[in-house]
Amino acid sequence: MIVLESITKTYVLGKESVNVLNDITLTIEQGEFVAIMGPSGSGKSTLMNMIGCLDKPTAGNYFLSGENVSHYNENELARVRNQSIGFVFQQFHLLPRLSALKNVELPMIYAGVSKSERQARAEEALMKVGLSDRMDHLPNALSGGQKQRVAIARAIVNKPKIILADEPTGALDSKTSIDIMEQFRELNEEEGVTVIIVTHESEVAEYAKRTIFVRDGMIQIPSASIMGVSE
Amino acid sequence: MSFMENLLMALSSLKAHKMRSILTMLGIIIGVGAVIIVVAIGQGGEAMLKTQITGPGNTVELYYQPSDEEIRANPNIFLQAPFRQEDIRALEQIQEIKSIVASSTQMSSIRFQQETADVSSTGINQAYIKLNEMKVEKGRSFSTSDFLGGRRVGLVSHVIQEELFKGDNPVGKVITVANQPIEIIGVLEKPTGLLSFSSMEIYLPFQTWRTIYGSSDYTQVTLQADSSDQLQAAGKKAARILNNMHNTEDSYQVLNMEEIAAGIGQITRIMTLIIGSIAGISLFVGGIGVMNIMLVSVTERTREIGIRMALGATRGQVLTQFLIESMTLTLIGGILGIFLGWGTASIVSIFAGWPSLISWQVVLGGVVFSMVIGIVFGLLPANKASKLDPIESLRYE
Repeated sequence: MIVLESITKTYVLGKESVNVLNDITLTIEQGEFVAIMGPSGSGKSTLMNMIGCLDKPTAGNYFLSGENVSHYNENELARVRNQSIGFVFQQFHLLPRLSALKNVELPMIYAGVSKSERQARAEEALMKVGLSDRMDHLPNALSGGQKQRVAIARAIVNKPKIILADEPTGALDSKTSIDIMEQFRELNEEEGVTVIIVTHESEVAEYAKRTIFVRDGMIQIPSASIMGVSE
Repeated sequence: MSFMENLLMALSSLKAHKMRSILTMLGIIIGVGAVIIVVAIGQGGEAMLKTQITGPGNTVELYYQPSDEEIRANPNIFLQAPFRQEDIRALEQIQEIKSIVASSTQMSSIRFQQETADVSSTGINQAYIKLNEMKVEKGRSFSTSDFLGGRRVGLVSHVIQEELFKGDNPVGKVITVANQPIEIIGVLEKPTGLLSFSSMEIYLPFQTWRTIYGSSDYTQVTLQADSSDQLQAAGKKAARILNNMHNTEDSYQVLNMEEIAAGIGQITRIMTLIIGSIAGISLFVGGIGVMNIMLVSVTERTREIGIRMALGATRGQVLTQFLIESMTLTLIGGILGIFLGWGTASIVSIFAGWPSLISWQVVLGGVVFSMVIGIVFGLLPANKASKLDPIESLRYE
């Protein structure tokens, strides 16, 4: 469960200070499928980084599975990212020199998983996303949709509770986008993984069971619907 | 994350830019190679100088250095042999001395048929042959009866065979030495080694020599003892006795070759250090090259660093990754440099005719030092990589 309490993020630019996130309070239950939408510059990426423990709030508290991670140091945050969060990016962000299998193994290297177990789990994850025949291919030899599926396999390989996807279909055509979104839906429904997707495409947002609109660093929906989620 | 994991990762990133890695390594290869060459040749030269200067073990030479007064009193003093028969007999009384090797040398003209030459003619005793390890390549050496009977026989150096006999075998031929006939019974081996040079020399039994030149004084006296401690004591006593007998202040002295060799060893060590330091500068430059390339690499791989951080790499793990990468680069360079240095030093030693010494300490030092260079010069780039902001890095194009 993700609980944000009065999260504020302020950037100081010279003499001016800009509130990118302004007193955001938000709860996302375990197993939810949430879309975050908003115009560019609205602060949705910052919110995403905050939830993904890549960024620390200027003020407010962030409870992840009951632990206040807003006071964690960088090493502790790295561990949280490694263990509890899987990232999927618009530009896939695969390492070009590593095969699909090695890319998927990467988070497990930082988790200290043994070599043989790493390989078995990476193969399993790639099988789950339907790429068992492409394991030894370099990212260059894969199509956009295949690359994104490798990225999804990499995101789920450490069995995180949360998957954060930043415009995951932004670089894909509409048919492939549907494939990828189905993949997320499957993960959400079958494995109970919390999926949070940042997007500006309403077709993508339709997969989510809840949509959060962000504008000017604030959440733009009636507070009743924020709280009124049942699972 | 294990060290092996890091090492494999480092090797694969170095392989991704083969040309760049090899060129960067070249700086380290040349640097380590140069240091190894200098040290190997320096140590080899030092070892050889020492054995050649010291000569046979546990000996000191006595020498006579007349004072200004003595020279004024007798301007021809240098032409006279400084050691007399009774000096030797007095020296024989010193307990610590195992043997005294006395000989006398005089420049002299020799003739064979129409050919003449100026040579140094030395009268020797049996101990002299043993002490100086004289070996004949043709004919035979002196026998005891040659010494005792004062027979008119002689050994000549290799150069005399070449110069006076035009390379023909001189054994059995009779030449004249200071107008006295001498039969040549053997030719000495050509001297080997850095400091020995072939000169025109003829050796005669001392008895024979005395008869020819009409003098029973000696020009060189070498003392031999069982240990170097005894040798020190014997040398001091000998010099004191001689100064007493000749009524001189301090003109008879001891020449200790081991001390001289130690001094020369000191000089070669300093030379090696100086040249080695200059070679070390190239290693330093190579290290800067490594740092430069690693900085480029960090900038190029900003996004990779961002991805790794997002996937859970700590700053420490990123730092370690880049440190191990630069260390791998310099370590491989260092090992190749050792081979380069070893090969070159071996070739040089073949041509220069002296041994090159590659001790395991030097090899170990080379390996460790190149690793240290990798760490020292990798620190800045690795630190830069670990300080990157993951969000910024992920956005980096």
